[in-house]
Amino acid sequence: MKIELIVNGKQQELDSAPGETLLHLLRRIGYKGVKKGCESGDCGACAVLLDDRVVNSCLVLAAKADGHRVTTVEGLAGQDKTGELHPVQEAFLEHGAVQCGYCSPGMIIAAVDLLAHNPNPSDQEIKEGISGNLCRCTGYVKQIEAIRIAAEKMRKSADV
Amino acid sequence: MCEQRKQEFTIVGRSERKVDGIALVTGKPKFVADIDLSNMLYVKILHSPYAHARITEINTSRAEALPGVMCVLCSKNTPSTRYTTAGQGYPEPSPYDTRMFDTKVRFVGDRVAAVAAETEEIALQALKEIEVHYEELSPVLSVDAATALEAPIIHDEKDATGIFDPVRNISAKIDINVGDVKQGFAESDSTVETTCETQYAQHTPIEPHVVLSYLDEDGRLVLRTSTQVPFHTRRIVSYVLGIPLHRIRVIKPRIGGAFGTKQEILLEDLAGLVTLRTGRPALIEFTRQEEFVSARTRHPMRIRVKLGAKKNGILHAIEMEALSNTGAYGAHSLTVLSNVGSKTLPIYNKARNVRFSGKAVYTNLPVAGAYRGYGAPQGYYPLEVAMDELAGKLGLDPIELRRRNHIRCGESSPIFEEIGEGREGVAQTINSCELERCLEIGARRIGWAKKRGLRTRNGPWIHGLGMSIHMQGSGIAQVDMGAATIKMNEDGSFNLLVGATDLGTGSDTILGQIAAEVLGVPLSKVIVYSSDTDFTPFDVGAYASSTTYVSGTAVKRAAEEVRGQIVGVAAAMLESGMTNLTIKDEQVISIDGRSVTLAEVCQRAMYQVDQFQIGATESCVQDQSPPPFMSSFAEVAVDTETGVVKIVDYVAVVDCGTVINPKMAQGQIEGALANGIGYALTEVMLFSSTGRVQNATLFDYKILGALDIPPIDITLLDSYEPTGPMGAKSVAEIGINAPIPTIANAIYDAVGVRLTKTPFTPERVLSAIRSHSV
Amino acid sequence: MALSNLKEYVRPDELDVALSLVKERGTSARVIGGGIDLVRSSSPDIETLVDLSHLSLSYVRQTDKGVAIGATTTLTEILEAPALENYLQGVVVEMLHQVGAPPLRNLASMGGTLASAHPWSDVITLFLALGAQVTLYNGVTRMVPLSDLYASRALLSPAIITEALLPAYAKGTAAAFMKFSRTKFDIAILNCACLISTQNGDCKGVRLTAGGTPQLATLLPAAAEVLLGRRLNQTSIGQAAGIARETTLVRDDLRASGNYRRELVYAGVKRCLTCVSRQLSGVSQ
Ligand SMILES: Cc1cc2nc3c(=O)[nH]c(=O)nc-3n(C[C@H](O)[C@H](O)[C@H](O)COP(=O)(O)OP(=O)(O)OC[C@H]3O[C@@H](n4cnc5c(N)ncnc54)[C@H](O)[C@@H]3O)c2cc1C
Ligand code: FES
Ligand code: FES
Repeated sequence: MKIELIVNGKQQELDSAPGETLLHLLRRIGYKGVKKGCESGDCGACAVLLDDRVVNSCLVLAAKADGHRVTTVEGLAGQDKTGELHPVQEAFLEHGAVQCGYCSPGMIIAAVDLLAHNPNPSDQEIKEGISGNLCRCTGYVKQIEAIRIAAEKMRKSADV
Repeated sequence: MCEQRKQEFTIVGRSERKVDGIALVTGKPKFVADIDLSNMLYVKILHSPYAHARITEINTSRAEALPGVMCVLCSKNTPSTRYTTAGQGYPEPSPYDTRMFDTKVRFVGDRVAAVAAETEEIALQALKEIEVHYEELSPVLSVDAATALEAPIIHDEKDATGIFDPVRNISAKIDINVGDVKQGFAESDSTVETTCETQYAQHTPIEPHVVLSYLDEDGRLVLRTSTQVPFHTRRIVSYVLGIPLHRIRVIKPRIGGAFGTKQEILLEDLAGLVTLRTGRPALIEFTRQEEFVSARTRHPMRIRVKLGAKKNGILHAIEMEALSNTGAYGAHSLTVLSNVGSKTLPIYNKARNVRFSGKAVYTNLPVAGAYRGYGAPQGYYPLEVAMDELAGKLGLDPIELRRRNHIRCGESSPIFEEIGEGREGVAQTINSCELERCLEIGARRIGWAKKRGLRTRNGPWIHGLGMSIHMQGSGIAQVDMGAATIKMNEDGSFNLLVGATDLGTGSDTILGQIAAEVLGVPLSKVIVYSSDTDFTPFDVGAYASSTTYVSGTAVKRAAEEVRGQIVGVAAAMLESGMTNLTIKDEQVISIDGRSVTLAEVCQRAMYQVDQFQIGATESCVQDQSPPPFMSSFAEVAVDTETGVVKIVDYVAVVDCGTVINPKMAQGQIEGALANGIGYALTEVMLFSSTGRVQNATLFDYKILGALDIPPIDITLLDSYEPTGPMGAKSVAEIGINAPIPTIANAIYDAVGVRLTKTPFTPERVLSAIRSHSV
Repeated sequence: MALSNLKEYVRPDELDVALSLVKERGTSARVIGGGIDLVRSSSPDIETLVDLSHLSLSYVRQTDKGVAIGATTTLTEILEAPALENYLQGVVVEMLHQVGAPPLRNLASMGGTLASAHPWSDVITLFLALGAQVTLYNGVTRMVPLSDLYASRALLSPAIITEALLPAYAKGTAAAFMKFSRTKFDIAILNCACLISTQNGDCKGVRLTAGGTPQLATLLPAAAEVLLGRRLNQTSIGQAAGIARETTLVRDDLRASGNYRRELVYAGVKRCLTCVSRQLSGVSQ
């Protein structure tokens, strides 16, 4: 079947078998930043934004996403055309929140959703925001810190 | 006390950003499965449904006939060479008890056959078309069943080698005696004895095992694989498939976590053979389910520890006896077992009488292998619980008991020499040890003096404090070898090529920092590349906490050699003596203030005068394995109505020598602690009565998420290991040793029960509380 | 391929069209809300999926009967709905914070959550205690108590859930929810909920539920009974919890033993009631 997606701002018409998941489709068309860790909703490695909300793309049929906007980690940097990293990406880098980096795309996407809806989250809210994104390397301490700092930065630049 | 040789560094000691970080946070195709090759085949594996059975017949013709199936592999058409999947130094200390496809299966999940097809769907379909007839054998599903008289023999094949006693299902055995423990206990004023048992647990890297193989333009086999051990992979695949080593190239791109499970050659042989047979690229990705069922686990163990002490609290005799379950194959069976003793017993070097003995036995359960900590977590559990008990018995504060007994700088332990990696060890003296400060700072930060023993109540919750101390090693002395190549480019940048494998640990960055420090350039001028057997020099790989200490020293040596060459060229340019020159800020500066840039130096060497490539390759094998040390403290709250254990606070103080990159070192400790807390509280593989893993999903094998992480307070002490690069030791593994005994001791402080079986599930804790108070 | 035999994915604009599709095609056609369970099931039987997202069923509305929640509303939308912020001191919001995690709650729908009837469902355990009603459409629209849906699964074959209603309660009513799990991001090894309405401080209406026992949540009538006409205090709460422990049907599964679940029923009921008692005394102050 034919489906239409706007991936990272780019309108695309794609062929997809009806049973194909969004995860499979996105990787197939080159969005390799979307990772596969379980294909059953348990790890969050495949997280993307579907119309601005974080979802596990392994649980979404591509057909369900038809006509919707999808944002992957590849679409976060340089949205303002400067090529600059998103503040969450920047903070992950600066504050040691990336070890192997396999969970990072999904976790960054989850954090972007969180901060879009809650610009000033408590630590507990940050933890809840990334609670569906498993990381085996870090112990989450640095990610929580990075998200807190990114939130601060984003609030400041919103004030300006 | 050891002398402190503080050195000033500019790049080392800074939390530099990860050199591969930008690519990772922007989702660049850095991992094995992130590249698409045309014409690629998908490989799926048929796993054994039985724990123990002989394959009497296998018919693959229907599967082969399926359109789109390119190749079906099974015992009939694959090499019968016995080997070990353990990626260790050569010759490997693990038994050669594995075949690509055997005619006997030894655990549910063992390899039976494999299909390579045009699509994943066809490959899966074809697996269903393979007819296999099994003769079921009685399965051996526990260590007790394995060691029982007349137990079924798991490895009855004639061609296996290196098994200690196949008839009695003993894969490996060890028995070490120092002094005379029997007499030692007789001479002791006080003794305690405890037996602790650990569960089947898994690494669960978020990226499961994955390999992509293809033939290059010259027909050589290329394996792009998620491995910790590219060079061992090349050697073992060459051996198993019977093809010359030089016809294989192993590329390790970015790895999505490993923790030991990728120190095994689990898929590369298979992908390689498919590619050789079909000439086409082949991809094998373990599903999460397969990862649980067929990849590796931590050796479950039952360990008895007996301690004898004099009235003054000084340990006089220690006995440790371990029974390890290696599962169906003996990967790492001897070496993990050895480490149970060798990474724990030296910490209490006052004891003059020590016995360490143990067996690793086969069962028809999933295969155990290397896992962060490598036997030490299992060993520290009974040892540190017994120390807690002993302190109670002697009426000493547990910290004081450790203070009287722990190893110190300038001291040694006979264990270093007695136990090595599958052979005798190497004697060594401790050159750096900050355990005293670790204890003091940790006690202060957790509030030990104020809070311990109070049993503060808050509704059904009772609080308690526990602690333990730990050490690990830094590489394997006189075994682990790492090498590094540095070459200079004419813009003053450098390529650093290392065989050391960054698995997400950040080692590329750390090695880059070491090189940049020596070469007087910012980290951005060092382009780090790991690892590719065609281009990078040999390294045993990332295990045994060897990278910073061993590979880091190789990097430092190579950088020093290159620095010498640079200064030589600059001396000619500046017409100055070499000793009058220093390198700083990308310039070579002479005493009188004249300078040339590094770029100019390299341009001259490359294009102008006495031309040569500025560059060097250096290697390192260390004569010792200096242990990092740590103290670990936890405050827990135990819910006496439900048995839930909540960690209120966790404090760790670590002596890992010079900290090359503080954020990354903290990250290593935090990650290891989180993994260890999960191991202590929630993680456990469950088996059916036929040996099948019942919870082979992340839905039911529970690793910690962000909401489960307690406040973790880490202090990295500045210490200095004179034999390490810039004074560094290792940091990657030690943290995982700590949570089990620390939490067990804290639970005891809170509710007075000793938990001797992991994980400390609420159900287990509640039942212990109930049977204690009755 | 998640659903290997899926042939058709339709998004009708009218409820009748959706219904006739599932009626005509029997079990090969399913309605899809978030699709979480459908995708995870990888069921080869499914050939047609009927997406309800174009039926204007995403809403959370305050009505005079209570709070109405449309079937395609996601759990996140429910969690963020102003109408539920203060409903029974925010008990629904508090429960939803404990369901899965954001990337799941942004998909899971009200209808799919109630229809899938996972035995460990946190939503169902609380909604049963709250006396939720569901609106079903099978050509005619009718509203039934949620408990009826589980008493007779025939109600759903074929029918589409269009709405859930959480009844309005007068002052002097309070509710609580408790979940026990292995980690925080986990399904319940046991959950409980309660709803208490009082008159002059005495319990007038009591609904207690326990779920994940490991069966689907049920009411605990015997434990509720002892509270009727009494005040909530340590004694009455202890008695009710004790009866709940004795009378709740529990079983072993790989997550916990039946015996352990019994202890959790006790602790859960006790804690829910204690929480409610605190809320009620707070209100009366
Ligand atoms: C990793 C994970 C963790 C989870 N954790 C929790 C947890 O902590 N607590 C908890 O309570 N739940 C939890 N869940 C369960 C989750 O909430 C359910 O899977 C989800 O609510 C299903 O909703 P859905 O809309 O996606 O259902 P769908 O998959 O869309 O549908 C499920 C079923 O309901 C039918 N259906 C859907 N909509 C309707 C309708 N309007 N009328 C009639 N039938 C309909 C479908 O045909 C299908 O048979 C978890 C799930 C996962 C995967
Ligand atoms: S791959 Fe989608 S949640 Fe794990
Ligand atoms: S950084 Fe490796 S899984 Fe998170």
